[in-house]
Amino acid sequence: MNMIAVYLVVGLILFTIALSVFSRRFTRTTADFYLAGRKIGAFTNASAISGDYLSAASFLGVAAAVYASGLDGVWYAAGFAGGFMVVVLFIASPLRRFGEYTVADFAFGRFGTNRMRLLTVLSVLLVSMFYMAPQMFGAGTTWQVLVGAGILGMNPYTSGVVVVAGIMMFYVAVGGMKGTTLNQVFQFWWLWFAMFLVVIFAFGSGFSYPDALARQSESKLTGTKTMSVADLTAPIKDPKTGEPVINEETGQPKTAYDNAKATMSPAAFAKVEEVIAAGDETAKVDVLLGQGNKLHTLRTMLFAEPGHRYNPLDQFSMVLALVLGTAGLPHILNRYYTNPSGAAARRSTFWVLIFIGTFYIFAPIVGLAGRGIISDAVSNGTYNATAPVVDGILVKADQLMPTIGLMLGGDWLMGIVTAGAFAAMFSTIGGLLIAAASAIGHDVYEKYINTDASEAKRVAVAKVSVVSFALIALGIGIGIPASGLDKAYPALIAMMVTWAFAVGASAFVPVLLTGIWWKGTTEKGALAGMFVGLSGSISIIFLNILMQLKVIPATGVLGFFGALTFPVIFTFPVALLTIFLVSKFDGKVPDNIDEIWMRIHGTASERHERDVEASIAKAAK
Amino acid sequence: MSEGITSEKGKVSVVNGMSIMTVGGHIDTMETVDIVFKEQRKLSFTYGAIFFVVTLAVPASSVWVESWYATPIWGGFTWNYLFVSLIYFVFLWGMAWSFSKQADKLDDRINSMADAAEAELKKGGGAS
Repeated sequence: MNMIAVYLVVGLILFTIALSVFSRRFTRTTADFYLAGRKIGAFTNASAISGDYLSAASFLGVAAAVYASGLDGVWYAAGFAGGFMVVVLFIASPLRRFGEYTVADFAFGRFGTNRMRLLTVLSVLLVSMFYMAPQMFGAGTTWQVLVGAGILGMNPYTSGVVVVAGIMMFYVAVGGMKGTTLNQVFQFWWLWFAMFLVVIFAFGSGFSYPDALARQSESKLTGTKTMSVADLTAPIKDPKTGEPVINEETGQPKTAYDNAKATMSPAAFAKVEEVIAAGDETAKVDVLLGQGNKLHTLRTMLFAEPGHRYNPLDQFSMVLALVLGTAGLPHILNRYYTNPSGAAARRSTFWVLIFIGTFYIFAPIVGLAGRGIISDAVSNGTYNATAPVVDGILVKADQLMPTIGLMLGGDWLMGIVTAGAFAAMFSTIGGLLIAAASAIGHDVYEKYINTDASEAKRVAVAKVSVVSFALIALGIGIGIPASGLDKAYPALIAMMVTWAFAVGASAFVPVLLTGIWWKGTTEKGALAGMFVGLSGSISIIFLNILMQLKVIPATGVLGFFGALTFPVIFTFPVALLTIFLVSKFDGKVPDNIDEIWMRIHGTASERHERDVEASIAKAAK
Repeated sequence: MSEGITSEKGKVSVVNGMSIMTVGGHIDTMETVDIVFKEQRKLSFTYGAIFFVVTLAVPASSVWVESWYATPIWGGFTWNYLFVSLIYFVFLWGMAWSFSKQADKLDDRINSMADAAEAELKKGGGAS
């Protein structure tokens, strides 16, 4: 157990709790609890949005994706950053001008019906749940690497999930948006510097970006996989025809066994042979496999080239999922209501792009550096991390960050990196819990269950919502390993976050874009579009999961949709088209559409707020 | 006010057949808001078109342009890798900075216009 890492993580937790307790005095009203009184400045808000946004997927997952997949992994970094352009260009300013608390408020204010608000609430909860799952998985895997031991009779993974969920319940319920914002600012800068330090240490150890990239691209990209003996020795089947793929040289069906034998060192492969010789077909074994190119199938898969993860359709679909998905994340959109004005919302987004952009330039450097540094350490016998490797390649790419921290800077850097990983989880989970709490507490309880509730009661309900949602997330986190998902997908954390992006991009973004920019959008159109986007994206994601778990075949209609790693390329335009067509047929825009338009695009409210602030400043002098 | 609009956001009235919204001492008319909307839409969609063309050109080039994805230009960097890992971020920063400046200028112009319309309305006694 790395005690320095443990002390740093405990210190981070204590500081987090102290900030939340300090912020209690600012959470007496629901505006304070959900929006920190709408008085967060651009720089602070940009730091908090960045903290909200940079989750375990970004801190652990992006470097891991680059480590595992090369260029296709780098797209996560570029796409995650690019998503904020859609926010700044189309959504940030109008959403803030419209005011209110939540995305569901916008839906209700724009379209005027309860069913629209309730469908939006359901969508918020589902997107938040999709986003929460990888944070919980990240908590469990980081705990495994950091502590390596369980507490209260639980295994290490479950202990990590339980501890993180418990802390988050406490700090969000106590600190509300103010406490969460202060924490997110601190946590963002911690994780930014942790990533920065790893990059500095990498360059300090002699890493050269162009040379390392050239070295990794000299030969075929390799990747690890945990397989059963039965799967390892079974013929590989063509996903389209279901027929065995024949090796042209030998005339025999191709197997993963042959691939592993050709790729692995004799010493490493001897261990695989031992497991096979034991005769247990269900025994699991870690192997290193040469990787294929899904984009240019006849080309050798190289680190610096595209194609490890995505076929031609997925190349486009993944980019669209990432750049559109950011604008569909409720916990990010809610933050825009905390800006003092529409212009401040734009300025916040510009700073967000600077902050996260630099972070996302660093992460792929770490992914590339990790490939050389870890394999060199294994080769020369200096590898001292606990994360398992096969021929110098990590079995679980998601363990790259703490491992490379240890390799480059010893226990201290590993400690800083591990605390950074927890900071990333805390900051994002905090935002998600606030979003989910506002969906239940504000959008449902205050609007439907008890409209006359006192402020104290409303805040109490918000806190109960936080605890309830955290408990659900806890259950999901514990259930992930049991489902086998962690073995079905390389770099699962980044993958799961992309699913949340896909659902958000399909359910919210078409409605937000048309609701803001097309006066002719009707309530029925928006309702139909949101339903189509939400149900379509979730269905395709589950088909993909079922196909990866080999529950459904890779052929036929189910196989076609199941093969879509990212459904956005279909679900986004279909949702948009649905809104357009249904609105055209319906033709019933809200009676008060002029009034709504003046709220979204007018400036009277902002000019009034500017006057109020000026008079307050004058009085203060 | 309709049910969907909270009253704290302002008061809507009709003056000389024209919808106006009053917040504090400030007024938006449908006419000025329409001008704002059109200008803002032009700005946002122009930048949006540039953003999407550039962003989608990258996967398109990854699929169809071999010299883009397979030819090293600096150590192991191909144009594809260099763009996605470094240049794309500079492009985003430039876009966001330029857009924010343009939108701020537009806001200033719109506020002056709205103030003028407001003064005109108040002079005519149409709103308070």
